[in-house]
Amino acid sequence: MQFHFKIAEPDPNASALTTTHNPHSALQPQQPAILTEPKDAQHEIKLQNIVATFSVDCELDLKTINSRTRNSEYTPKRFRGVIMRMHSPRCTALIFRTGKVICTGARNEIEANMGSRKFARILQKLGFPVKFVDYKLQNIVATVDLRFPIRLENLNQVHGQFSSYEPEMFPGLIYRMVKPRLVLLIFVNGKVVFTGAKSRKDIMDCLEAISPILLSFRKT
Amino acid sequence: MSTGLKCRNCGSNEIEEDNARGDRVCMNCGSVLEDSLIVSEVQFEEMGHGAAAIGQFVSAESSGGATNYGYGKFQVGSGTESREVTIKKAKRDITLLCQQLQLTQHYADTALNFFKMALHRHLTRGRKSTHIYAACVYMTCRTEGTSHLLIDISDVQQICSYELGRTYLKLSHALCINIPSVDPCLYIMRFANRLQLGAKTHEVSMTALRIVQRMKKDCMHSGRRPTGLCGAALLIAARMHEFSRTLADVIGVVKIHESTLRKRLSEFAETPSGGLTLEEFMTVDLEREQDPPSFKAARIKDRELIQNMGVHELTELQKEIDAHLEKDIGKYTDSLLRKASKRKKEESAQSSRSQPISEKELEMEESIQFIEASNAEVIKEFITSNTEDSKPQAVMTSAVIEGLRPDIEAICRVTESELADVERAKQPAETELFIDDLNDEELDQYVLTEQEADTKLDMWKNLNAEFLREQQEREERLAKEREEGKPEKKKRKPRKKVIGPSSTAGEAIEKMLQEKKISSKINYDILKTLTEGMGTLTGDSESAPEPMKPKTLEELEQTPVIVEEGPISSKNSRDKPNYDMPGPSRKRVKVEAALSVTQSEEQLEAKPEIAVEPDDLDEEAEADEADADVDVDPEPEPEATLQDMLNQGAGDEDDEYGYGFDEEEEY
Repeated sequence: MQFHFKIAEPDPNASALTTTHNPHSALQPQQPAILTEPKDAQHEIKLQNIVATFSVDCELDLKTINSRTRNSEYTPKRFRGVIMRMHSPRCTALIFRTGKVICTGARNEIEANMGSRKFARILQKLGFPVKFVDYKLQNIVATVDLRFPIRLENLNQVHGQFSSYEPEMFPGLIYRMVKPRLVLLIFVNGKVVFTGAKSRKDIMDCLEAISPILLSFRKT
Repeated sequence: MSTGLKCRNCGSNEIEEDNARGDRVCMNCGSVLEDSLIVSEVQFEEMGHGAAAIGQFVSAESSGGATNYGYGKFQVGSGTESREVTIKKAKRDITLLCQQLQLTQHYADTALNFFKMALHRHLTRGRKSTHIYAACVYMTCRTEGTSHLLIDISDVQQICSYELGRTYLKLSHALCINIPSVDPCLYIMRFANRLQLGAKTHEVSMTALRIVQRMKKDCMHSGRRPTGLCGAALLIAARMHEFSRTLADVIGVVKIHESTLRKRLSEFAETPSGGLTLEEFMTVDLEREQDPPSFKAARIKDRELIQNMGVHELTELQKEIDAHLEKDIGKYTDSLLRKASKRKKEESAQSSRSQPISEKELEMEESIQFIEASNAEVIKEFITSNTEDSKPQAVMTSAVIEGLRPDIEAICRVTESELADVERAKQPAETELFIDDLNDEELDQYVLTEQEADTKLDMWKNLNAEFLREQQEREERLAKEREEGKPEKKKRKPRKKVIGPSSTAGEAIEKMLQEKKISSKINYDILKTLTEGMGTLTGDSESAPEPMKPKTLEELEQTPVIVEEGPISSKNSRDKPNYDMPGPSRKRVKVEAALSVTQSEEQLEAKPEIAVEPDDLDEEAEADEADADVDVDPEPEPEATLQDMLNQGAGDEDDEYGYGFDEEEEY
């Protein structure tokens, strides 16, 4: 069985391109023309969530922010920050008094960056002396379906120092990879969730490292 | 009663041992040589109100010395007492917990040993003791393979089972205890006993066991709670043996939700074994193992997705492809036909011109046949090469049936990206907000007008009236406290700083040393000069020598002072480094010759002199106290390392070491 890994790239222009060019160019070379069996499909890494942080480097008055924007909520009893939402890109920001902002919910890095800057721009429009400092991707969550069942018990037995598998608490096996440093949730049906990655490369490296291991624990 | 012992003070042999009081007294000078003696027999004495045991009982775990009463003040600073109390308490609670769970004393002891390991590694810090005890007991249950579930223990202790699970995982991971996965078979007997099956309990549980084995073979157990599987198996087994057990009965015993149980039942029904009749099931063992149900479900979903995709998206694309292909094929065949027909024309021109049309058709047919045949050949070739490719892989996977082990070497390697991260962290980032590509109109939608803002603020004030009031109260209280001059509450320091990745070993060592000083006996400045020689460290070398003078002095004088207090036997070992310390200075060489001969004499001389120096003692008192509790045990080791390092550092000469040895020379 061969692996073809690819990160799904939501490309809005793709459909427009295919109509004008030769349709051969739009096809993936690895993909058979007719997908009869799910096995033949590509292993696609789907980015699910991106968390980015940045600072506007000035103190913010949360009450004003809340009252002057329509897309925000602020219940200091429950949560100390203002929660601000946005439609495109669909993401949510947590804005704190110190000027630190957490942007979450974006589907890819570009969206996260765009969304962060948009939130900063909104704050700028409210009259705060806004800068854009320390932008950093904090967490990337991605999923992949390997399409083969995995023997979690054996995996846990052999990799006990990195994994924990307690079906009484959680159905998946939690694998704490040291390098690259991220956490995987591995399920018996071959689906894997990556979390704690700081970049796409982390995820690709991790998958490269884990896929031979998982393949060796494949249930036949 | 005189023993072979000698009095420490006067050297007299007349030593009286009194088992009743538990002490040993010199009859000559009257000094108490030892109190709280431990004897292994029990004696009783007649008291006014009856018989009583003599002395007090000392537990096996006790490290000696005074137990709880009367002697408290002698135990200051040793720290053993507190730990003993902790262990005693743990033992009591763990035993109690084990009794509640109907576990024997053997399990309690194992659990207590786990607790001691955890205590030793400071894993008990910041966790509730009930959680730690429960986790230790659960670890014992798992390693010993008893039929206890996490939820049983959390039930008894009245704590959250997930919290307990976290503690348990943390403990088992930190103590490197590899715990086998749960086997649902373990719980069958236990649940079967509670189903009130009477005399047939064993038979039913055997059948249930068979069912669970089958379920395990079909991979139904992975990722599922063992209780669910057991419940389903027991229900089936009970009904097979003509007991009318309902879902509710089983649910009451195994404590899972009805829908879960139903799902397990239907999943089992979907496996081939589920389709067998009762007799068949008891006699036939199907060879084939099934994929896990969740895997099957995912595949079904995939297939549906692809079908839908085929209907909606693929059709258009396919049409286009087909059109293109037809065009291509048309072109190709056209040219082929044209060529062929040309040739034919020539041929036919040469021979006969009787049936030009029919021949043309025939040729077309032939050429199509040829194309198809060659296509088929190519496809066949591909298929064979594909199977060849996949074969060796299959062999490989079967060879490593055990599964790949973790690659430690790869983990320890420093990758380029990490170095790049370190580099990047050093560079300042841009601070200006880049807004050229942002759509301002869209963002303006989010900003409210003055009027709207006012109404929203009013509403918000109404909704959060309570909070605002509380906040005001708190501010007033704080202001009041400040007026009264109360000191503000200090923030707790975080216990541990996180050390980031470092690019070289030297850097890592430096960071570690900065984080915690291992011992005050190590001369850190010398350590720095060492690494400097390797070219990994920068700076600090010029500033280092200054504060070093007093430190070397301190160390030299400090060591014998401690020795005076310590036990006699260890005297020599502690003294040694003091005199063996090789200094890099020129003066040192002179001294060394003298020292090597008269070492023992000097030792004797040096000690009393230092011991009576009151000034020195005062100066060192603070440092001494601080040192005493930190590094009493590891003392010999760091000194040895210091020695080594000095040896190494002897090459580059530094004058300040000479100072310390000058002092020594005077003795």
